[in-house]
Amino acid sequence: MSENQGSEDRRGRISRRAFLGTAAVGAAGLAGASLGLCRLRPTAPLWEAGRTPTAATVYGDWRDLYRERWSWDRIVRSTHFVNCWYQSHCAWDVYVKDGVVWREEQAADYPQIRPDVPDFNPRGCQKGACFSERMYDPARVRYPLKRVGPRGSGRWRRLSWEQALEEIADSLLDTVTGEGSERVIWDLGPLYTFGTMSAAHQRLAFLLDSTSLDMNTEIGDGHRGVAETFGKIVFERSADDYFFSDLILIWGANPVYTQIPNAHFLLEARYKGAQLVCISPDHSASAIHADLWVPVEPGCDAALGLGIAHVLVEEGLFDESFVAEQTDLPLLVREDTGRFLRGSDLGADEADALYLHDPEQGIVAAPRRTLSLGGLRPSLQGRYQVDLADGRRVVLRTVFSRLRDRLGGYDPERAAARCGTPPALIRDLARRIARARSACSVTTSNFSKYYHGNLIERTQALVFALTGHYGKKGSGFVGFPFLVHDGLDGAILSVIEPADRLRLVGGALLDGLRLRRAGYTEEMVAYERSRKRYELGVITSGALFWYVHGGLLAASDALEQWDPHLRRPVRDVLLESLSKGWQHVSPSPGDDPRMLFVYGSNPLRRVRCYPLLLENLWPKLRTIVTLDWRMTSTALHSDYVLPVAAWYERTEHKWVTPLMPFVHAGQKITSFYEARSDWEILSRLARAVQERARARGLRSFTDRQGRTRPLADLYQRFSRGGLQAESDDDKVARALLEGASNLEGVDWEELKRRGWARFTGVGKSEVSIGNASEIAPNDTITPLTRHVVGKQPYPTLTRRIQFYLDHELYREMGEELPVHKDPPSAGGSHPLQLTGGHTRWSIHSAWRDDRLMLQQQRGEPVMWIGVKDASARGIRDGDRVRVFNDLDAFEVMAKVSPAVRPGQVIVYHAWENFQFRGGKGFQNLIPTPLNPVELAGGQFHLRPMSLCLQPSHTDRDTRVEVERL
Amino acid sequence: MAKSKRQLAMVMDLNKCIGCQTCTIACKRLWTRDEGMEYMWWNTVNTMPGRGTPRDWEEMGGGFHQGQPRPGRLPTRREFGEAWDFNHEEVFFGGQGTQAHLKVAGEEPDWGPNWDEDQGAGEYPNAYYFYLPRICNHCTHPACLEACPRQAIVKREEDGIVLIDEDRCRGYRFCVEACPYKKIYFNHVKKVSQKCIFCFPRIEQGVANACARMCPGRVRFVGYRDDPNGPIAKLVDQWKVALPLHPEYGTEPNVFYVPPLAPPRFDEEGNLDESKPRIPDAYLISLFGPEVLRVLATLKTEMAKTRAGGKSELMDILIAYRWKDMFGGFDRDPATIEWTKA
Repeated sequence: MSENQGSEDRRGRISRRAFLGTAAVGAAGLAGASLGLCRLRPTAPLWEAGRTPTAATVYGDWRDLYRERWSWDRIVRSTHFVNCWYQSHCAWDVYVKDGVVWREEQAADYPQIRPDVPDFNPRGCQKGACFSERMYDPARVRYPLKRVGPRGSGRWRRLSWEQALEEIADSLLDTVTGEGSERVIWDLGPLYTFGTMSAAHQRLAFLLDSTSLDMNTEIGDGHRGVAETFGKIVFERSADDYFFSDLILIWGANPVYTQIPNAHFLLEARYKGAQLVCISPDHSASAIHADLWVPVEPGCDAALGLGIAHVLVEEGLFDESFVAEQTDLPLLVREDTGRFLRGSDLGADEADALYLHDPEQGIVAAPRRTLSLGGLRPSLQGRYQVDLADGRRVVLRTVFSRLRDRLGGYDPERAAARCGTPPALIRDLARRIARARSACSVTTSNFSKYYHGNLIERTQALVFALTGHYGKKGSGFVGFPFLVHDGLDGAILSVIEPADRLRLVGGALLDGLRLRRAGYTEEMVAYERSRKRYELGVITSGALFWYVHGGLLAASDALEQWDPHLRRPVRDVLLESLSKGWQHVSPSPGDDPRMLFVYGSNPLRRVRCYPLLLENLWPKLRTIVTLDWRMTSTALHSDYVLPVAAWYERTEHKWVTPLMPFVHAGQKITSFYEARSDWEILSRLARAVQERARARGLRSFTDRQGRTRPLADLYQRFSRGGLQAESDDDKVARALLEGASNLEGVDWEELKRRGWARFTGVGKSEVSIGNASEIAPNDTITPLTRHVVGKQPYPTLTRRIQFYLDHELYREMGEELPVHKDPPSAGGSHPLQLTGGHTRWSIHSAWRDDRLMLQQQRGEPVMWIGVKDASARGIRDGDRVRVFNDLDAFEVMAKVSPAVRPGQVIVYHAWENFQFRGGKGFQNLIPTPLNPVELAGGQFHLRPMSLCLQPSHTDRDTRVEVERL
Repeated sequence: MAKSKRQLAMVMDLNKCIGCQTCTIACKRLWTRDEGMEYMWWNTVNTMPGRGTPRDWEEMGGGFHQGQPRPGRLPTRREFGEAWDFNHEEVFFGGQGTQAHLKVAGEEPDWGPNWDEDQGAGEYPNAYYFYLPRICNHCTHPACLEACPRQAIVKREEDGIVLIDEDRCRGYRFCVEACPYKKIYFNHVKKVSQKCIFCFPRIEQGVANACARMCPGRVRFVGYRDDPNGPIAKLVDQWKVALPLHPEYGTEPNVFYVPPLAPPRFDEEGNLDESKPRIPDAYLISLFGPEVLRVLATLKTEMAKTRAGGKSELMDILIAYRWKDMFGGFDRDPATIEWTKA
């Protein structure tokens, strides 16, 4: 019967005759219409010939009210331009009735990529399904607001756009001309689109030489261990690639909460025959659907991973040829210094050369421009001697043999003592991974939120490397997912003076050529470009910015009591790092920031221990401007709040991830009070700056490099001579895509109509190129194939997947090889470990105070606690408790569950401070101690670049005690 | 009582349900936003074991026992949970600084439609839980219909959808008492009882229910019970892997569940203990009847086939390679409907 049912193929208008046929079905339409109840009728026939009529009953009553309700004036495609990261994005049909957005429903028309793999439909979640309510709710900002009471008082005055922008422009000019352009700070957040919103920011920040914060490591998504091992963090499969896995490790992730539209692929892969293994401290919502749940102490996954690696090595379950070709395990390390044997040690022409031992050829330089070994058969084990150029004879050993020594301390029994996972289970897990045809991990940004998370990630990468699970369909440990169009650079260059453009483009081209000649791959060249921007300071580490300028470092002063492995005060390491140029921060320490633009972000909700920012940074800031569609914790502490158009009120497109490799777009459907798109707001701000500069006779300013920059034609340049004016969102959006190399043949009008278009490649952007894979129209995406199959070197010091780090800080901390270190007792010696995780109920804080979402929870923040821990403290479910440590205290409702591991308490992500009594939330208790190894730099891949290799902020080692109120 | 000629039904695969409540919100935004309906959640998803919605509904009676009506009790609004409102204006614009924080306006709540989310039962590390989505079961033997003295409840002949005639309903709420699933809500403004309508306006247009079509977990199959090529007959009658909830309530529900599997439990030493399941059999039997053990065995057998590299028709159906195949022909894209002024 199905072929007789309605189908989408019957698109288009129905003939008048068919419509009359519908109306003639019964008196329903007539009766309803006469009562004024049945204003609308479908023009499509209710059923086709041969189909059983399902609505033949004669209506004309209350039922028509329901039919009427499910009717609309028009449907427009859109999406939510929010960073839901792993699960972005979803095309929605937005239903409009009487000029109001009434509801939304998934468009659900993604193509099936392969017939043997499930399709992507219907992508969306409960949060997207109620944005039509959220967009009209009391959290919206309706007009430009100016603070009239003290910061944070919640006393506001409504301003006109003209006045607000004029005042902000004057403050900008004061800073840029009087104090230094680098003291204007842009905090960028989860609303950053890589579309018009980003083009506006990048143009204005470039033209005014402001400082923009890279917040990726600050939020704890820096994946330091991945970066240390692969020289990059961005690589990820498509969600349908799970279908080719036979073992899927949900290790530290909770995709049932955080990947709602992708989760079906995991569960369907299970029906296809894959084993689903979940490794987590709590019996999480993802664990309940697993074939095997492996409990582990929070933050002790490195011990588990090393235990697994021990079994793999000692039982001979590792893939020798993969390890020899793709990893640094065969490379030779000097026993005297603990450093790799380098060409410079031997006086070789290539000073950077590293060496391996071949049974026939002896000690030879490892290939650097390809992973292909040619005829070499590197020895994995062994002890060798070599004469250095200075005549000394030194002993060498392979990384593998050092690793084997290291693993000696992690037999399953000893590993179990640290990680709490039973030894039999560790052995079982190791053998399952070794036996698997194609094992993979599920993305998580959990571990980079632990102080020793890098050690955990290095261990995870090791387990997969030993078993050769990379580069095959359905296989691989994955890093960080990010997929953008690469047209944004062009949009910035287009506003630069022709002479400067020539200098910049020409310089970059020459640099690129020089590096390519030196054997750099395309991705290495892209990363060098990125590093240059960090050196200049136009982009700076958000984490370091808050530590240095926000006074956050003060919370790390007690680290010596919390981390037994610390050798010297972390302040000393920070000074060393900055003075050696390992890490950079802009403005320079001592040059106080003066203006803060909060651009689609929420630092006072986001930054751990944010009270220190209020105490230290806020007084230095003359002007704080928040641009957002809703009131946030940060907006409450701002001087100006500018209303931004929400997602159905703007024309825009946004980046995604390889998990769902379709660019998404939406068009403006409606307006809301005085909210405007970011593009329009910053365009008008640029014009206001130009006008005020002219009026005040300020012709130019001096940028951070000492060059004079004009001010009087700022808006002219911003808008490319008026070609991309303040209301030209559509033109700008189109131009960005037309400049992209990885959206070939994508037509902007068609994209807007459909809402999505499949990427045609990973492109050239530094934030996506690391995927090292192709994107075929009819196949799933497996990352790193350019390395594993194409033999392209990795962007690491060794040009291989690198487990040995011979940087001096790593040697100082005993972290040359992966090692387990117990989590520090951050916040003092208290019995419970406060962890977190992204929530099912919100994307960051965007839905945290949403009425419907709160109705599906408890209406207020909760903290999860295990049954035994609760009863030992006389705490019952629903009780209000006080949580405290050496830093501070907060109050919250306790949610008691046997699913929570004893010793652990959990507060899920992104409650706004204003949801807690006294405005004091759980962030207050999180000191985010600075880990000294994260200050490393100066070595090939251990230098800061976009998204990674900067110090990070962490929260999941926080110790607390809880008492019933 | 009139028997329907055909019966629409739904199968929900609990092994794919991720508890995201997109179904709940889909329903809320479409049907229950008017005054008097705010507290209604015609679709709910509860963590089981749990007290559910309304609180302790399984202990409220209703339905039939050995063919005879079993007395039921009326749940209170507080047992369902009120539709909380919040003090956003006060917090954002009230000038009180940190003195005001966001909270539920009025009385402090102690229950809601998803209050015991992810809590479950058992003892760590052998805790267990799963998600149970529920709508009106559009029963073949609806207790609500029998209980209504106004004959205001009809079971549609053509598709078996059970509807409360809001023109005839006088708000006596006998149906609310009689429904053993406690899936009927009272509209305190309109003074009528209201419940899930199986999205009949959508069904009439060949479009699957909002809860099913908007489910990102691809949990819900829809179709006629008697369509031999449709997913319902295949899962319920041919493969026999989908069971009604609480069959002992005697109403013959037309919503069926593929029961939940769970990872193995641990023994005292922390080693895997496959001698008994993590979710106690007795608990699942109490929900789905004794058949549930046979169903779980079938699921495991078929999963073992695919794990060994073989084929399984059952697994292919549950995977749903083509999403649209889940809807028994009700797979029309609503965007293709052109409405016109009548």
